[in-house]
Amino acid sequence: MSKLCTLLAVSGVALAISSPAFAETVTLAAYSGIFQDHYTKAVVEPFMKANPNIKIEFYGMPNSAQMLGTLRAQKAAPQIDIVIMDVSVAKAGTDEGLFDKIDESVSKNVADLYPAARAEGVGGVAVTFDNLVLLYNKEQVKTAPTSWNALWDKQYAGKVTIPAVPDIQGTTLTIIANKMAGGDDYKKSVEAGIKKLGELAPNVQTWDPKPDVYTPIANGQAALGIGWNARAQVYADTSGGKLGVVLPQEGSGFQINMINLVKNAPQSAAAKTFIDYALKPETQAAFTEEMFYAPTNSKAKISPTALSRTAAGAMDKMIAIDWIAVAGIRDAITEQWRRRIIPLSR
Amino acid sequence: MSTAAAAHPPYSMPRVTLGRAGTATLLLLPIALVNAMGFIVPVLNLLRMSFYEALAGGGIRETFTLASWSGLFRDAFYVDLIVNSIVVSLSITFATLLVSYPIALYLHRSSGRWRTFLTVLVISPLLTSAVVRTYGWIALLADQGPIVGSIAALGFTPPRLMFNTTGVVIGLTEILMPYMILSLLAGFGRLDPRVEEAAMTLGARPSQTFWRVILPLTVPGIALGCLLCFVLAVSSFITPKLLGGGRVFLLATEIYDQAIVTLNWPLAATLSMLVLIIFGAALAVYARVLRVIE
Repeated sequence: MSKLCTLLAVSGVALAISSPAFAETVTLAAYSGIFQDHYTKAVVEPFMKANPNIKIEFYGMPNSAQMLGTLRAQKAAPQIDIVIMDVSVAKAGTDEGLFDKIDESVSKNVADLYPAARAEGVGGVAVTFDNLVLLYNKEQVKTAPTSWNALWDKQYAGKVTIPAVPDIQGTTLTIIANKMAGGDDYKKSVEAGIKKLGELAPNVQTWDPKPDVYTPIANGQAALGIGWNARAQVYADTSGGKLGVVLPQEGSGFQINMINLVKNAPQSAAAKTFIDYALKPETQAAFTEEMFYAPTNSKAKISPTALSRTAAGAMDKMIAIDWIAVAGIRDAITEQWRRRIIPLSR
Repeated sequence: MSTAAAAHPPYSMPRVTLGRAGTATLLLLPIALVNAMGFIVPVLNLLRMSFYEALAGGGIRETFTLASWSGLFRDAFYVDLIVNSIVVSLSITFATLLVSYPIALYLHRSSGRWRTFLTVLVISPLLTSAVVRTYGWIALLADQGPIVGSIAALGFTPPRLMFNTTGVVIGLTEILMPYMILSLLAGFGRLDPRVEEAAMTLGARPSQTFWRVILPLTVPGIALGCLLCFVLAVSSFITPKLLGGGRVFLLATEIYDQAIVTLNWPLAATLSMLVLIIFGAALAVYARVLRVIE
């Protein structure tokens, strides 16, 4: 037994001293898949070139909830320094005391962020803006739709794919539909939107597209759908012209990713250096050019081509969604969907 | 001299006698430890989590509340969800039994190399993951797929075979068949061909032989197979997720949604405990069936 203990202790020490090939290794948790590919290329690799003594370990996870779960499990001894996650999940994490506050003392760039980049009661600040878009298969929908109303068109019955609530794409669509149906403040009631989505339900092929919403539309299994702009733009480029992306005339809503500093992070100082870099106008511009997330830094200079593929040119049409307030009504919206929308599609 | 040495070896290992109970305890200790750490402790954690309070937006307050449990039985959606899970799982179990029984019976009666070959054939689907097989079903059942296509070619309006309960039942039935067939085979021990011959000699028609001799003798296998398939169907997640199209609400998919999407861990924990209770009930029914036939 004591031999085993010695062995474990020795290998533990060996592991501890073998890892820092660089002076400091910062672990960054964020979305896996194409986000990881493009963020690594446009942000992480240039950062490491500029800061040769800091190594960024990208720890990809499929969604924000899983990141929160990992942080919860590591609360006593965090292994992750920085996490990029959805604003409402970041709020839950802040409430549980998982994050430190990011302000001007962490990064001077915080002062240049758009007002929407800061959310009350969230430790982190916004690092990307994304928005809901209308997706269509260019072979099945010949003329590019201009309105969300295309989803309600009977000619596409059984060909529409919608990620339903609790996915926040469904939540965003509820708020948009509520505005289209003449509903008032979505924070008070989404009744009009729920009714309108009930009329959409018979058209829906699946409420749970797999592996994501972009693939079945690109390969023709579905004709229309909704998704996030940044990913849609990337898939539109790689789909060989089959996936079309439209920001409809009625406008859309933003999804916000916050960058958060984990409380008691092992490499806090180096992590702050990275956060400062991630919020810089040049970095923000580079990532927008790479993946079409709208920048959160107001001083970021973006080329007109890239800018036209984000919602930055249509700010007046966008619905300001207060995700912190939505978190409070999300359960009620989910309940309405399950009782009054999804059953109408059976 | 030499015979004496052989009869009483000069060096003999010191013997430690443990007795039967001692040996049994010693042999059970490793698995008991693994189970305690890998199963009992997590389940107790889950039980404790089910009494925490879920805050809006995914937060958790560590207190003691029955809110998740009482909400489950006050909300018609969850009552439906539980009933639906059980009904769908029972349908899948029954369908699996129906299609697996003839195969198992044939396998039981075959012999030699042919039997080995067929057994390998039955087990071979298990070499492929359920995810891959489910995607296979998506290709087959899709609106442009061969099955819908052939029905349409015959002039009928094809029903929707995917993204609904039908798709989930079809997919899971096929995926669970190997388990059912193997359990049936394991329970067919009492089925002696001479008993069947005796029934025939005494003038029973084949259908009579089946209903009055073969079926009663194979009940242990049926019970085992049904228990296994029911438990696997209730807990299966990936096939309903992929083939259900977000329309089929089952316990396993709901646990995923609550844990991973909505972040309501207390409710997810409560639903998980409920699944455990359903498993307990299924086991009780199984034990009762075995007692009755003994």
